[in-house]
Amino acid sequence: MADQPVVVVDQVTKTYGKPNEKQYQALKGINLTVNKGEFVGIMGASGSGKTTLLNILSTLDAPTSGQVTINGQDVTQLRGNQLSDFRAKQIGFIFQDFNLLENLTARENITLPLSLQNVSARQARGAVDKIATTLGIKGVLGHYPTELSGGQKQRVAAARALVQEPAILFGDEPTGALDSTSARELLNTMETLNQDQGVSILLVTHDPFSASYAQRILFIKDGQIGQELVHGDKTQEEFYQEILSTLGTFQQ
Amino acid sequence: MLNKLALGGIRSRFRDYAVLFSGLVISGAIFYMFMALATNSEFIAKNAPVTGANFIFMFGAVLLAIITLVYIVYANTFLMSMRQRDYAMFIMLGAKSNKIGQLIFLETVLIGLMATAVGVIVGIGLTVVTANILMAQLHAPLIGFSGFYLPAVLSTFAFFIVLFVIAAFFNQRRLLKTPILQLLHADQTPNRIKQKRIWFIIQIVGAVVLLAIGYAAMIYIKFFQLLAIPLALVTIVAGTYFLFNSLFVGLIALLKRQERFANKGIRMFTLSQLSFRIRDYTKILSVVAMLFALALGAITIGIGFNHEIPLMASSQSKYDVVLHNPSTNLIRQAEGLTDATKVSYNQKIVGENVYYVDTQVKAHPFLVPKVTGLGESTTRTLNAGAINKDDGSAAMALNEFIPNAREVKTPKVVSAAVFASLKGQTNTIVTYRVPDFVQQYDRIKALVAADDKANKVNTSIPMMNSKFTAYEVINGMFSGLEFMGFFLGLAFLAMLASTLMFKILSGAAYDKSRYLMLQKVGVRPGLLRKSIRQEIGALFLLPGLVGVVHVLFGLQLFRTLMANPYDRIWIPFTIFIVLYALYYGLTVWLYQSIVINKQLAAK
Repeated sequence: MADQPVVVVDQVTKTYGKPNEKQYQALKGINLTVNKGEFVGIMGASGSGKTTLLNILSTLDAPTSGQVTINGQDVTQLRGNQLSDFRAKQIGFIFQDFNLLENLTARENITLPLSLQNVSARQARGAVDKIATTLGIKGVLGHYPTELSGGQKQRVAAARALVQEPAILFGDEPTGALDSTSARELLNTMETLNQDQGVSILLVTHDPFSASYAQRILFIKDGQIGQELVHGDKTQEEFYQEILSTLGTFQQ
Repeated sequence: MLNKLALGGIRSRFRDYAVLFSGLVISGAIFYMFMALATNSEFIAKNAPVTGANFIFMFGAVLLAIITLVYIVYANTFLMSMRQRDYAMFIMLGAKSNKIGQLIFLETVLIGLMATAVGVIVGIGLTVVTANILMAQLHAPLIGFSGFYLPAVLSTFAFFIVLFVIAAFFNQRRLLKTPILQLLHADQTPNRIKQKRIWFIIQIVGAVVLLAIGYAAMIYIKFFQLLAIPLALVTIVAGTYFLFNSLFVGLIALLKRQERFANKGIRMFTLSQLSFRIRDYTKILSVVAMLFALALGAITIGIGFNHEIPLMASSQSKYDVVLHNPSTNLIRQAEGLTDATKVSYNQKIVGENVYYVDTQVKAHPFLVPKVTGLGESTTRTLNAGAINKDDGSAAMALNEFIPNAREVKTPKVVSAAVFASLKGQTNTIVTYRVPDFVQQYDRIKALVAADDKANKVNTSIPMMNSKFTAYEVINGMFSGLEFMGFFLGLAFLAMLASTLMFKILSGAAYDKSRYLMLQKVGVRPGLLRKSIRQEIGALFLLPGLVGVVHVLFGLQLFRTLMANPYDRIWIPFTIFIVLYALYYGLTVWLYQSIVINKQLAAK
């Protein structure tokens, strides 16, 4: 079981537009695998199809053909409430614009996924305290999102995404709205989570620096995966340079 | 080009506009209906003999104008919440701001004018329909009342044009003064609201004390006299405001602190939505509660008077129909009365005395009312002895037995032998009693008319001695009041519920992102729908409950006018609650269709 990949994408295509109208193929047969405990980056320019891919991976959208398996479950077969429940239990999200509920405090925001699964109040409190300590936001749990800095908000979002211990954490440009210090801190935290707690992470970004934290980077262009870079034994600086030069040639 | 863009904006949000437009049409229609009554002084004068009816109507008109104003403000906010992004986009694209200003002005005034025109037409139709229904129900021809009434049309148009021009200026100013960026990202960001504990406690205590004073003023109206009404009005309005501002906020905070309760599903989210809402909604909820009370009160009083009339009529006479020397045809016609108890008497009139046969009276003693209070009476049976020793009250009550009576004669009961020896013509008097007078009104009316005709009674000078004439006279007096009660009540209900609906809907655009986010993290759509039902349910229920309590105390004011203001209050309450619930259902449906997305990936 330990060897079972967390995410398997098999020949996924996505076509927009009805058959008798002008059609646009956003994804043209994507194959990818994320293994348990892996930190994978997906890079690509605007319009390359990376958002479409992420929407399909996170079950927000359905592929036109192909199969997406997350933690052994074929998500393309799920419908209605099953989909909601699957997202609640198996998938964690971090969005660029945080997507916190601004009428709930940080603690209430983080507790929400647990409440959905009717976890007892005492257990929830313990779980929230634990993840908040890990992410270094223990001190701001009583605050409302408007009272937090961008970095703190994203940590709260990360805590909310991780509190129910999902199979995989999806990041959609999580550093996009952060200043460089906060971005670096968040990425370091994600790296720690990945290495110490074994959290599987799939990060979608167009920022080379964010991507350099990944163990493996997939480049997507015009709806297809074009190239793959592996971190391996390289230092982060070397890997970053490699990404930069790959981007330089890949985009052409 | 810009006009095209603006029109395109309308087309793309057609449903939202349809909601806005129909809401404005309803408010226009209601305002017209009310004005058709209020501006028709001839109608008021003829149908409301109570002094001060004009005053009541002026008061009603002012209240309706105020709530219409509030309503237009909310509808306008709803319009702006839909449009501000588009307008900001146009400005960003380089449209001149004064051109945009013109566009906003035009759009607001045009929508307003169209809505008013349609509203007046709908209003005329509704006025005719309701007037006909009510007239049929109340057995009252409303003299001088017509569906189309020019002064009402003019005043409705004048009022709405002024309102919309003001709204247009307001919109124009607001859009052009607000920085573009803020317009583009106009997401509501609630902040922590700090409230001092002391002030909070003062408000709770204030709410309870003020409401207690107001209720006491209404209960002890005899003691407070004329002071009761203004005193109650001021204290109850202030008390209601404090109640919403403190007590309900406190209750929600308390619920949120119960972790066991709050940490189930998305209860915490629902409660938080409510607690942020309620602060924002304090004023509107207080207004809704007050109007709810006024409207429900008006309908209750209207229906109360309606029940009161047959009671008052039966304290005049205990017989539903009395026929004098009826022809066989008329007797046959009277067989048509359902479940009627028929009793016949022989009668001879000699000078100032009216003679009856003792065996007949013994078999069926006369029944006369004994008035015990306002609209309350018990039935007193009169046997031969009681009649012969009478102080004059029996004579009054039995006067309706005399054909074409114009003066009171003394009733006497004598033996059959004595009766036979009396000179004069023997009259046959046939009496009928039915279980429900109002139900058989039409048959009774026909019988009384035939009897009057046969006995050559001059009906232009009604003698209030039969139940039917009493009913007609009292009904004529009160039906105008009933009609106004119904009308005012329904108009207020429609307005207050629409206002609440728009206030809630105008926030829906801001809530969209929250519900989308919740769906993304895996909250079942069914759970979200439930949360919306509960949240909006609380917003409708709280002012409704407060309003009901206000009415229950407020009816005390009418104890001096009615026998029992609480009689059958379930009827108006049911009508009212059903209509209110319909508005609730509509609001939930619209709100859900705005905030719950089927396509998650599109955003």
